[in-house]
Amino acid sequence: MELKINGKSYTVNTEESMPLLWVIRDELNMTGTKYGCGVSSCGACSVMIDGVATRTCTLPVSAAVGKEITTIEGLNPNGELTAVQKAWIQHQVPQCGYCQSGMIVAAEALLNENANPTDEDINNSITNICRCGTYNRIRAAIHTAAELRALETELIKKVMGE
Amino acid sequence: MADNNTSKTKKWTRRAFIATGGLVGVGLIVGIGGNVYLSKNAYKYSGKGFGDGNSLNAWVRIAPDNTITVAVPRAEMGQGVYTSIPMMIAEELEVSMDDIKIYAPQPEPAYANALLLVPEPKKEYSSLTFMQKVAHFLPLVATGGSTAISDGYNYMRAAGATAREMLIEAAAAKWGVDKSKCYAENAHIINKDSKEKLTYGELAEAASKVKLAKMPLLKEKKDWKILGKPVARLDIPEKVTGKAEFGLDVRQKDMLYAVIRHATYHGGTITGINNQADIEAKRGVKKVLILPKGIGAVVVADNTWRAKNAALALDLEETGDATLSSAKIDAQAEEVIANKIIATPLQKGNAAKVLDGGEGIIEAKYDVPYLAHACMEPINCTVLVDGDKADVWCGHQGSSIMLDGVNAGAGIAKENITVHTKYLGGGFGRRAEVDMVLNAAHVAKEMNGTPIQLVYTREEAMRHEMYRPAVKSHFRAKLDGSGGIEAWENKMALQSVGYSSVMRIKPEFAEPPEKDGSSSEGAANLPYEMKNALVAFGQLELPIQVGNWRSVGSSQNAFFTESFMDECAHAAGQDPYKYRRNLLKNHPRFVAVLDKVAEMSKWNTPLGENRFRGIAIHESFRSIVAQVVEITKVEDKKFSIDKYYNVIDCGRVINPDTVEAQMQSGIMYGLTAALYGEITFDEGEVEQYNFPQYEIVRMNVAPQVEVHIMDTDTHPGGVGEPATPPAAPALANAIFAATGDRVRALPLQKHGYSFV
Repeated sequence: MELKINGKSYTVNTEESMPLLWVIRDELNMTGTKYGCGVSSCGACSVMIDGVATRTCTLPVSAAVGKEITTIEGLNPNGELTAVQKAWIQHQVPQCGYCQSGMIVAAEALLNENANPTDEDINNSITNICRCGTYNRIRAAIHTAAELRALETELIKKVMGE
Repeated sequence: MADNNTSKTKKWTRRAFIATGGLVGVGLIVGIGGNVYLSKNAYKYSGKGFGDGNSLNAWVRIAPDNTITVAVPRAEMGQGVYTSIPMMIAEELEVSMDDIKIYAPQPEPAYANALLLVPEPKKEYSSLTFMQKVAHFLPLVATGGSTAISDGYNYMRAAGATAREMLIEAAAAKWGVDKSKCYAENAHIINKDSKEKLTYGELAEAASKVKLAKMPLLKEKKDWKILGKPVARLDIPEKVTGKAEFGLDVRQKDMLYAVIRHATYHGGTITGINNQADIEAKRGVKKVLILPKGIGAVVVADNTWRAKNAALALDLEETGDATLSSAKIDAQAEEVIANKIIATPLQKGNAAKVLDGGEGIIEAKYDVPYLAHACMEPINCTVLVDGDKADVWCGHQGSSIMLDGVNAGAGIAKENITVHTKYLGGGFGRRAEVDMVLNAAHVAKEMNGTPIQLVYTREEAMRHEMYRPAVKSHFRAKLDGSGGIEAWENKMALQSVGYSSVMRIKPEFAEPPEKDGSSSEGAANLPYEMKNALVAFGQLELPIQVGNWRSVGSSQNAFFTESFMDECAHAAGQDPYKYRRNLLKNHPRFVAVLDKVAEMSKWNTPLGENRFRGIAIHESFRSIVAQVVEITKVEDKKFSIDKYYNVIDCGRVINPDTVEAQMQSGIMYGLTAALYGEITFDEGEVEQYNFPQYEIVRMNVAPQVEVHIMDTDTHPGGVGEPATPPAAPALANAIFAATGDRVRALPLQKHGYSFV
């Protein structure tokens, strides 16, 4: 099977039913995406598949063939942190950090759909578990990331306009 | 005036910080003072893995290119210790946090956490007490009990100060001037007269040979540049890019994955496997084995998922008690309270005499269930046994416990074991246990030459835990005419966490359950004024393992005592804040914290329609926390938890941003237990096995938390645990205010409450 992850192609020879998570972690040794529950409940295993935040611990690898997969490692291919990552540092969000790859992927996906989410939007769309309870700071960081993204968009428009 | 903690430093010993000349790098033994064997060895360290450069002491190594490496022997599990320990050293060393690299050292005597054995923190320069020497000699290098800062506050700052003075003396010798003409600033030593500068890197080799004649004083608090100010955590950048390596992320060449299946029944054993050949024939499976004493079976494979599926397919022969149930445990607990009390940690006056047959007695029976730690990162450990040597990689709270586990599990001599401490995906006490290391070491020995990563699936991690015990607490009280407590009685039944956990980790140190202070912490040491009081407990005899769960005894005792205190306030017809305040009037620190939380939450101003509040205060781990929670009634038995106001007095503060984060975190952890947390037994098995059965507070339920930190000039207290205990009673008290329903058994959801 051919997988396209973070812009690169990989050939894997596993059972079609193996969840994408274990292909990424144990076959390809990309460990930024985490195992938390194995039942799509906690969201630690979230990656973007064609731009949609997807829990990979129950998704058969065969279902991801031919799609664009972006893991936490692929969010900032040029080394420049994304607005979400910057906001996460500004608000000092992570504690143990284990759930944060999934949280960041979920936040990126939310902001792709909704550029300026309200607290209620955040409550409804961020359903991942953080056992350290960093929710207050996640909420604040998503608002900051939305502002940063808006500023970036404005800047690009200005530059393009000139 | 000199710093409180340094003003009496006339008497000092050199053993901690004065390097013996000429020894650099591996094999360096620092600080030989006194003539007792224990003392000689108390500060040994090897510098193994410390990187290039010259060690100035066990904590600081400086390379010629000015790289400053700081040893951080405590585990980073989200509490920020990879930043707060370097802060203490950097403050005295006169370097910026940007200059620092950190390193997790081997579990050697220099890095012992004596506060885990002795209630008093070490002084920076005086000699060790006997038990402190024992902690060093073992050595006990571990993280827990909210001790990292309280334990290290004096001697970690001293490590930075002595290194700085050694650099100053080296510079003075080089310039041929008196050392009083030199000072340290921004990783340079500067000559006051000539304005010449030398970098620490240029001086490190000479400095490492300096013998200090006297110990430097530590800085006064007013001169702090780093401590007490919010500092960005050093571990956060790699935690937003997926680069941070947790135990489960360890990848070694040719590594295999092992998945455990514990004996189904707690205390039971696996005696055989009926389909071993079938399992071994499955794709990727390399080996199937039963662990010593039949505690579990393990499948080793080339992929975690294949190992997990194969482990699930094992057809096991097992023995064990298939009749254990929560109903039976409940009945035993009632019997223990009635007839089998083994300890009376508090007896003041004669409470029984006042209460037996008295009039107007307030009675209440409380209970809480077993709880799982449910760390986000499932339990795991990676071990390579190669002949008579071994390596162990784990996110673990105790590097010395990792060493013990490999030693016991694989029979490798401790000096031949290398410990690699990784990030912990949550600890909360669960990762201070030895089981994952012991089991991984056993498998690695069977797989000699191949690194194996042992993984507990979420289901295994949840159903075979060292749980917070289920506890019952039966109260009786009588109030005097003004509401004061004439008599207070609290009889409890539980399994001793101290006994159960120490029997697993260091059985030679285990004390019997009746001597376990953690059973009654937060119940027998209440600050409230009481004329007669009795607090007693008895021990349940069960095959269930119990362990340290964030805030330990206080996790249940704060719920019991602060809820019952609310009942007393209600019986006295008094406001719960003012009632507590009156009973605390001889404890100014408690009053100050309570007053502050009342002020922040505008306690005396009524809330709007359908809005209610509750209050609780509790001391644990050398800090006092008071909370007020505000809730909104959405409909009958359905509430929104809007906001917690949280005030902490933890003495001197190292990193205020971390204190705030730990208050937020502690509340969420306590809330999960209050709302949902419950591990139950039926037919010998745990009924909850993953998050759908063991729900965790998520974003939609998480309240806002506003934190205030008291400005108190005392030795630092803990911050990782103290916010957890008051969270549940504050909420239950708010529910009572809203409904008149006094919830005496957690979790709230089992009484039909829901939260949005």
